[in-house]
Amino acid sequence: MEKACIELKVPSDVFYLESVRAFIGKLSETLRFSKKRIADIQLVLDEICSNAVYHGSKCISCGIQLQISVNTQALEIVVSDKGGVNTHNWLSTEKLAEIQAKRSPTGESGHGLYLIDCLADDQKLQPNMVGGTDVTAIFYRDIQSKDD
Amino acid sequence: MSGTEFMTLRENADIKIIDVKTDLSSYAASDLRKVLENLLSEKVSKVVVNFSEVSHINSTAVGTLVGIAKRLRQSGGDLKLCNLASTLTRTFNLIGASSVVEIYESEKSAIAAF
Repeated sequence: MEKACIELKVPSDVFYLESVRAFIGKLSETLRFSKKRIADIQLVLDEICSNAVYHGSKCISCGIQLQISVNTQALEIVVSDKGGVNTHNWLSTEKLAEIQAKRSPTGESGHGLYLIDCLADDQKLQPNMVGGTDVTAIFYRDIQSKDD
Repeated sequence: MSGTEFMTLRENADIKIIDVKTDLSSYAASDLRKVLENLLSEKVSKVVVNFSEVSHINSTAVGTLVGIAKRLRQSGGDLKLCNLASTLTRTFNLIGASSVVEIYESEKSAIAAF
């Protein structure tokens, strides 16, 4: 299988994330990930995209960009935002460490990045050229869910 | 008191039961918060949320349930969840929220736990 790349641009509104989640679910199914892994992939995508909408977007029309790459080894998802009103390059490695340190299991927020870290096989955060953040999550095709 | 597009409400004695009719991503989580906030404003203290038709929940929705459970307990009540798919229970366990919100296998056992 040659490397293939799918690009999607979605308005910065959580209303549209259901369709994106359904799409990645179907793609993961086609790639023969297990049901548990598909649930993991969908949850990770949901968390990344929700963060991009809530923290990395100034307006609905700014949009978030998804780049989904598939090859024989892995499914790689990159979600890019343009930065929020007061959140230029909102997510850095330092900011992530701060969020993780503050996270309480019994708290109401701050769990999304923790879930991404738990469920993706690899993940990476980096500021992008337009003042936003690129979040990458990788799922290897020969690995079962961490709970399988 | 009424439900919303994604939630319906029932009663069993003094317990309100919310049947969630959709997956709980960020969009539907705001609906869930609205329904739960309405119940709090009506001084309802015992709530069961039925997840039998839900196959996905994200951290926003989990956070909403954790917050409401804490507030219900402050008023002498509680929030209990039932009929969760294993992937949903796993999300609660990963976050650690299952130490705050009680999860039951069936609606009957959730109601009996009050």
